[in-house]
Amino acid sequence: MTRWIERRWVAAAALVAFASIPAMSTTVAAQQQTAEQRAKAPGKTKAWTPTRTPWGEPDLQGIYSNRTITPFERPDEFAGKATLTDAETAELERRVVDRSADKREAKGTEADVSRAYNEFWWDRGTKVTTNRSSLVIDPPDGKVPPLTAEAQRRALDEWKQPALRGGGANGRGADTYLDRSLFERCITRGMPGAMSPSAYNNNYRIVQSPGYVVVAIEMLGGTRIIPTDGRAHVNPGLRQWMGDSRGHWENNTLVVETTNFTNKTLYRGAAENLRLIERFTRVDADAIDYRFTVEDATTFTRPWTVAVPYLRTDEQMFEYACHEGNYGMEGILSGARFEEGK
Amino acid sequence: MRYQRVTFMIAASALAALAAAVPVRAHHAFAAEFDSNQPITLRGSVTRVEWINPHTWIHLDVKDASGKVIEWMIEGGTPNTLLRRGVDKNSLPAGTEIVVEGYRAKNGTNRANGRDLTLPNGRKLFLGSSGTGAPADGKDPGETK
Repeated sequence: MTRWIERRWVAAAALVAFASIPAMSTTVAAQQQTAEQRAKAPGKTKAWTPTRTPWGEPDLQGIYSNRTITPFERPDEFAGKATLTDAETAELERRVVDRSADKREAKGTEADVSRAYNEFWWDRGTKVTTNRSSLVIDPPDGKVPPLTAEAQRRALDEWKQPALRGGGANGRGADTYLDRSLFERCITRGMPGAMSPSAYNNNYRIVQSPGYVVVAIEMLGGTRIIPTDGRAHVNPGLRQWMGDSRGHWENNTLVVETTNFTNKTLYRGAAENLRLIERFTRVDADAIDYRFTVEDATTFTRPWTVAVPYLRTDEQMFEYACHEGNYGMEGILSGARFEEGK
Repeated sequence: MRYQRVTFMIAASALAALAAAVPVRAHHAFAAEFDSNQPITLRGSVTRVEWINPHTWIHLDVKDASGKVIEWMIEGGTPNTLLRRGVDKNSLPAGTEIVVEGYRAKNGTNRANGRDLTLPNGRKLFLGSSGTGAPADGKDPGETK
């Protein structure tokens, strides 16, 4: 029993460590891509008449990157400010570069171990990609709305859930690979995680054909094939890791509704009851205004919306065959066994 | 009673983790794999680099005190990002002498992460705050010879 309790303490400590990851994740790469240099904040551009596919749909096709250093939620220091001035933007970018500088102040700590991934290994860029102070645009305060009471209860019990979606990121432990997060297991970042900026591998390829829009995702691989021909969702009993997506066009905007999620993924507390609405609008030759709205009344006290610029890039997509040599998983599990044996 | 308090701690932490969930993080936590209590410094010769997903691994021959050669493996970044930085298979050829300062794997094997990688002349590898940080190959505008 004592041992069990100790493990729970370790889990709690790991959770705290996880909560500190944002600071670690602010390390950046120095290199900038041309699309970012060209891009203006979407929304500021004047009306643009989109090119069309030969069969008459707005043409979204191309390779895009959604990398950004714009904060996901609005930092408290920008409370009440939905947009930043040029000076504030410059200061934000300066600070990100400064934070990523390799100071080694914390030598011998777990934070320092993690910082082996310095800015060189990241590919977040060093620039904001919008003049907004957060990627969350609704609620107007730029913050993810509070969890419902039910979702808070679920969160309290999350650590004793069956190991469906992996608990590594939530500190459940390393007794088995099932304890580790779906990301570490090379399975998926789920939705809308897979469409959200990450530390690297932020490229996406969009291809259209009559009746379909296809989105290939670089991080962890995977391809979303989204019917746009008006067909109904699959049977509600059929549940998928990435849900079931259906698209339609509203003027120049591709609107995609995704339902039929499983209880195996978790997005900020939302799982099988998530209904996700995405909107893709090409606002100029180099940018798609990509938005998603998270709806799950069992998890959030209100729906909320995120807007992420997808900027055209001259880069190519690379394969990220994550299972190829995931030695890290072996190292994490065998490391835990070794420590138990001490 | 103790049990309840622990549960509460975990619960509070779980909420904190949820609240702090971020869209950006690494593929896995280095701190789960490598031991902050075992900092190491290795000086050796690169034998090969595994260009492998999700992360590259640099293989290094290190001589111990008795002169015996021991192979070490150093975990690096994802190959995709390295290629975008201008680092490729020619960037760290076999025979390159490097000094690695990092942390040893918790499982006691000869694996480590490369917290700092340095050429014998003191030039740091893969620290990209200016230029690409790639080994000097003329591609990096910020390169200092």
